[in-house]
Amino acid sequence: MSDRNKPQTETEVSSSTATAVEGRWNVVVLNDPVNLMSYVVLVFKKVLGFNESTARKHMMEVHEQGRSIVWSGVREQAEHYTFTLQHWHLHAVLESDETH
Amino acid sequence: MKRIEVKLSLPVVAPLLDVIKEAADSLSSNLAASNTLVEVEAELRDTWRDELLLSQNEEVKQLLALFDTEFFASGVVAFDSSNAEPIVRACAAVRLRLRERFLLDLKEEVLESGEIELEALEEPSRRAFMCYLFLATIQELIIQHLDSSILEN
Repeated sequence: MSDRNKPQTETEVSSSTATAVEGRWNVVVLNDPVNLMSYVVLVFKKVLGFNESTARKHMMEVHEQGRSIVWSGVREQAEHYTFTLQHWHLHAVLESDETH
Repeated sequence: MKRIEVKLSLPVVAPLLDVIKEAADSLSSNLAASNTLVEVEAELRDTWRDELLLSQNEEVKQLLALFDTEFFASGVVAFDSSNAEPIVRACAAVRLRLRERFLLDLKEEVLESGEIELEALEEPSRRAFMCYLFLATIQELIIQHLDSSILEN
């Protein structure tokens, strides 16, 4: 949407902010040496609704590669998942998906 | 309601409780995994942090409450669907804090493998590592026996 009465520079700023917020966001879980593998699998099943094999696959990715993208999509939902994973004390971060 | 009762050895567990309490107390104003807030928008960060801290404190309190007078009389702790989830989370928080306060000298690979010679550790680290293992055992028991309760809640 545009507002023709606003100066061009302001429109550009708000447009770029909107794109950043509306774009695609990744929820990334980082490795930590403390949390048990079985605990991480439980959290992935509970928070993200993964089945056992998907949860294990992502847990192993975190363990072996140091990180795993566990969810991608709109910012609001990504924030919700990140918050909930942090509630479970996983090292979860939000990242803008710059491939889209 | 599924419930498990675990009989613990008082002479083994009692000396660990002071260390667990100390680590738990140090979490009262700090998140166990505080470095993960950097990506959160500045305006949301305070509310986000406060909410996480509030739940962390409540859950750590529930963990410490397991070791009450009844525990010292019987050596028994009990878990069911009402406390499994907060306790398993509180164990994670306290383990993260124990690592940060006492076990930073241990390399990540060593900590992950669990292959550590207790005798080689200095006394504060040795006791902290025993607490770290003890809390992991509680987590494993809960996950093994009550994971369906947690998933269904």
